Amino acid sequence: MKKLTLVFITMFAIASMATAQKYVTKNGKISFYSDGPLEKIEAHNSQVNSAINTETGQLAFKVLMKSFIFEKALMQEHFNENYVESDKFPNATFRGKITNAQKIDFTVNGSYEADIEGELTIHGITQKVSEKGTFTVSNDGIKGDSKFFVKIADYDISIPGAVTGKIAEEIEITVNVMLKPLGAL
Amino acid sequence: MKNWLKVFLFAGIVGLAAIAYMWFFMYNKPHTDYDKATPDFIISANECYNHFYNGQESPDKAFTGKVLQLHGFLTSVDDLDSTAVIVFTYNEGMFGDEGIRCTLLPTYKDEGLNFDKSKSITIKGFCSGYNDTDVILEHCSIIN
Repeated sequence: MKKLTLVFITMFAIASMATAQKYVTKNGKISFYSDGPLEKIEAHNSQVNSAINTETGQLAFKVLMKSFIFEKALMQEHFNENYVESDKFPNATFRGKITNAQKIDFTVNGSYEADIEGELTIHGITQKVSEKGTFTVSNDGIKGDSKFFVKIADYDISIPGAVTGKIAEEIEITVNVMLKPLGAL
Repeated sequence: MKNWLKVFLFAGIVGLAAIAYMWFFMYNKPHTDYDKATPDFIISANECYNHFYNGQESPDKAFTGKVLQLHGFLTSVDDLDSTAVIVFTYNEGMFGDEGIRCTLLPTYKDEGLNFDKSKSITIKGFCSGYNDTDVILEHCSIIN
C-alpha cells in the first residue's frame, strides 16, 4: 500500500512539473501595420493562441485570420477575400524554438532578449524565419513581445494590378502575449 | 451654351457623383452593426462546439462568417483591456480548456463580468471560425 501511495505521489509530482513548464494564453495580441504610398493598413487580433515550453524553449502561435479587425470594413473584406483567402487558409501559425534558451531563466523575474527561429505559415505557405523577441518574467507570468517584418510576396499573396506599387511590400507584425502557467487560465 | 459643353458638364457632374458615391458608400462603408444583426443560426453553445469539433463545418452548413446566437452555461469570463471574453468550456487540449470564446462589444463588458454563472446566457456574435482548439466569436452582445 505504501509503495502504491509512493507511485501515485511520484506520478502527481511529475505531472505537476510537466504542467508548470508550459505557459499559455488564448488572449494574445497580434497586429500588423503597413504604410504604403496609397494608404496605411492596420489590423488587430486579440484572440491569439500561444504556448511556450520553458524547459525546451519551444513555442507556438496560432491565429485565426478572420479575427483581424480593421478600421475600414472594405479593407477587412479585401484582406479576407482577395489577399489571404481566409476561407481557404483560415489560420496562420508559427512553430519554433528559442535558440538562446540557455541565457533565459524563466524562474527568475527579469527581462530577457530572445533569439527565435521557426516556421511561419501564412496563406498556406511556410517560410523559415529568424526574429528577436523579449520575454519579461514576473509574478504575473511571462510577457512576450516581438516586432518584425514579413514580405507579402514570400507568402504568395498577390496584389491586384490596380494597386501594385501602392501597397507596402513588407508589413510590420507586432506580437504581445501574456502567458500564464497551464491550468491557471 | 453649346450642346457639346452641356454634355461635357453633365458627364463631369455624373463622374464626380460616382466618385463621391464610391468614397462615401463603398470605401468608407461602416462595419456591420452586429448588435442589431439578425442571427443566421440559433443553436446551443454545446451544439456549436460539436459542429466544429466533429468536422461538420461544410459549405452546406457553414457557421464561419455567419452571425450566431448561442445559449448555454458559461465557464468563465476573461477581463481584457477594453472588453471581456465569455468562455464556454467543453474539452481540454494542449492550450488548456477548449470550447467557445466570445469577445464582447465594449458596451457589454460589465454585464459579462457580472453575469450570474448559474444562469444560462444567450449571446450573439460574428463567428470567425475554429482554430482547432476553440470556436471564436467576435463583436458579441448579451441578449439575456
